[in-house]
Amino acid sequence: MNKEEISRTFRISYSLKNTYRVNTILYSLKQIPLIKKLLPAKIYGVKELKIFANILSAMWEVASVFIWKLLYFVTLVCGVGAIYSRLPSDEVFLHVFLMLTIIGFILNTHLFNPTRDKYYAIILLRMDAKGYTLTDYFYRLLKDIIGFLPMTLIFGLLNKVPLWICFIIPFSVVAGKIFYSAISLVNYEKRGKAYNENKLSIPVWIAVLLLLVITYGMPAIGYVIPEKAVITLLIAFIPLGLLGIRKIITFGEYRQVNQEILAQMLLQLDSAKNINKKSAEKMISKDRKISSAKKGFEYLNELFMKRHRKILWQSTRIQAIVILILVIIAVIFVKISSGISEETYGLMIQNMPYFVFIMYAINRGMGFTKALFMNCDHSLLTYSFFKQPNCILRLFAIRLREIIKVNLLPATVLGGGLSVIFYMIGGSGKLFECILVFLSVISLSVFFSVHYLTIYYLLQPYNPSTEVKSGTYFIIQFITYVVSFIMIYIKLPVFIFGILCVAFCVIYCVVACILVYRFAPKTFRLRN
Amino acid sequence: MKFTVEHLSKSYDGKQVLKDINFSFEEGKIYGLLGRNGAGKTTFFNCINRDIRADSGRFRIEENGVKREVSAKDVGYVLSTPTVPEFLTGREFLKFFIDINEKFVQDIRTPDEYFDFVSIDIEDRDKLLKDYSHGMKNKMQMLLNIIAKPNILLLDEPLTSLDVVVSEEMKQLLRSIKSGRITIFSTHILDLAIDLCDEIVLLSHGELESVEKTSTDDKAFREKIIEALTEEGNE
Repeated sequence: MNKEEISRTFRISYSLKNTYRVNTILYSLKQIPLIKKLLPAKIYGVKELKIFANILSAMWEVASVFIWKLLYFVTLVCGVGAIYSRLPSDEVFLHVFLMLTIIGFILNTHLFNPTRDKYYAIILLRMDAKGYTLTDYFYRLLKDIIGFLPMTLIFGLLNKVPLWICFIIPFSVVAGKIFYSAISLVNYEKRGKAYNENKLSIPVWIAVLLLLVITYGMPAIGYVIPEKAVITLLIAFIPLGLLGIRKIITFGEYRQVNQEILAQMLLQLDSAKNINKKSAEKMISKDRKISSAKKGFEYLNELFMKRHRKILWQSTRIQAIVILILVIIAVIFVKISSGISEETYGLMIQNMPYFVFIMYAINRGMGFTKALFMNCDHSLLTYSFFKQPNCILRLFAIRLREIIKVNLLPATVLGGGLSVIFYMIGGSGKLFECILVFLSVISLSVFFSVHYLTIYYLLQPYNPSTEVKSGTYFIIQFITYVVSFIMIYIKLPVFIFGILCVAFCVIYCVVACILVYRFAPKTFRLRN
Repeated sequence: MKFTVEHLSKSYDGKQVLKDINFSFEEGKIYGLLGRNGAGKTTFFNCINRDIRADSGRFRIEENGVKREVSAKDVGYVLSTPTVPEFLTGREFLKFFIDINEKFVQDIRTPDEYFDFVSIDIEDRDKLLKDYSHGMKNKMQMLLNIIAKPNILLLDEPLTSLDVVVSEEMKQLLRSIKSGRITIFSTHILDLAIDLCDEIVLLSHGELESVEKTSTDDKAFREKIIEALTEEGNE
């Protein structure tokens, strides 16, 4: 390949990658509610939007060179390394870095990574496999060097590693990668089996695990690889890498290697698609004794509940048992430490909003609606009898009852337990507050149950292949999480909190039911 | 009975898929709706079944000279990929369906009689639907539509992925239930349309056009259809 060919291949492969990155950005813009209404229908043909997305794409290309490396150093190298404070920081740094680098040779070769880019270029567009692979490979290695250099300088020097070593590290990392890949190519020529970094054999995984143990386990018991040995190895990688380059450039069977690993990738993608459906089907109980004597929608509901007992009732039952155990421990604790003061009581009773987050976390509403869609509604919604407004609402009422029942079990245990504990500490004078504690936990449980079922009926976020397609649904879920999380930090007297909770729950339920009765016959549809 | 489509229009992102369609379908006939990929056959069905909102137009049924709007109960829709509730057995699904529709279903028979009618084997009747084969799921879907006896039966490429035996069974079934209703059968397989249907309707350029069916194996007839579908503007 001459210089011109290389630059042409590079331009084509880069613009290919860029094109679908740009289209991904435009597609994502179209998923955001409100913004999507402002965008024209033929979004992929609008020049200004394309320029905008191109700028974002270019910024990402540059930023990504450094961001991943920065994260790598902050977390895996220095972040974990900081735990071993008893050992000299430079030795820990070099030990952890060297070991992770060796793991990187195995898991992150670039050359044997089956990516979509490669699939489009080599298989679909039939580009010259060798030209494409090598251009892509060396571009990635160059990005590695540029990305590593500032990081090794900053983090190396911070950990008192000599400057010249910091400078050499990026080159030896890349050289080591090249050498490892070259060996894998030789191995391919001998055995005919292509290395695929996303589909490693069990012995290789065991080797990776052992390397990880050495990386983080050795310093934990006070040992690191001696600095001199690390430095010698890092330097030795460089001539080995130069040797490897020859093999990589002269290797002639890149098309075969790529076809093999890309076929494996497609197979993995296919099975990933089916996983959703299969895992949903696995939730269905195979027990042949399950039956129902009811009629119509109650019949449908009872069979659904019985065949999904494992994912619905079993999990809340376990929750209830765990909560009960915790309550008993707390009760015993309060009994034996008789001197829990008024002050502690005051503190506890102020922190009731914390339970909003706990109730959010233990609610099974989302799992319930997901199972409803995956195993029931996605098919029944294609039948017109099921879409009759009175049928939709009848079933909504039944499901509301069930979802509340499922979630009430742990809520009752938690609410009851809490009020008993508060009563034990606060005494009979606080009886009203204890009742409020119970009521607020129950109303929170009811609220979350109603909430999940309502947004499911009003937004019906899934498409026929059971992917969530509604941006609004995502946003509401996110807001639910954020609000519940913020409640952790809010302090309110139990009296106000309890009354607010009960009032909010009642108002929300009434509004939600009105909305569902008014809109669900129109909104509860399959998304096309 | 007649089913009339009046001034039906639908466009997506500025592209008009259905252009002011006016058409009248008659009772007792199987209509073969032919169109190229992307011509709008499924959109047409989805509009009739109210799965998507049409931009304009109305659907009416005319009986004994009286016209009325088409209601959801009038329409049965069999999709090309059959969908059935996985957590029910065939028998349970059938029972549930009859429970819900008992007011509208005439001369209810026993579940086994129904299963016999669509040749679903005895041992399969109490299996969960998730374990049914494609063909069996399809039969289940057809069965419900046969029981419900909708005035208009829409079939979206239902035979395309069935094996030869099931496909033949389904054709027989469709012929046996065609009286008293309007069956519209969409396909892009010309031979199937000619074999099964009484009338051929083309959907091209967003318009519906009836093709005179002169003789079943007339070469000229086939050529006429292909010519109509490949006309300029439909590329």
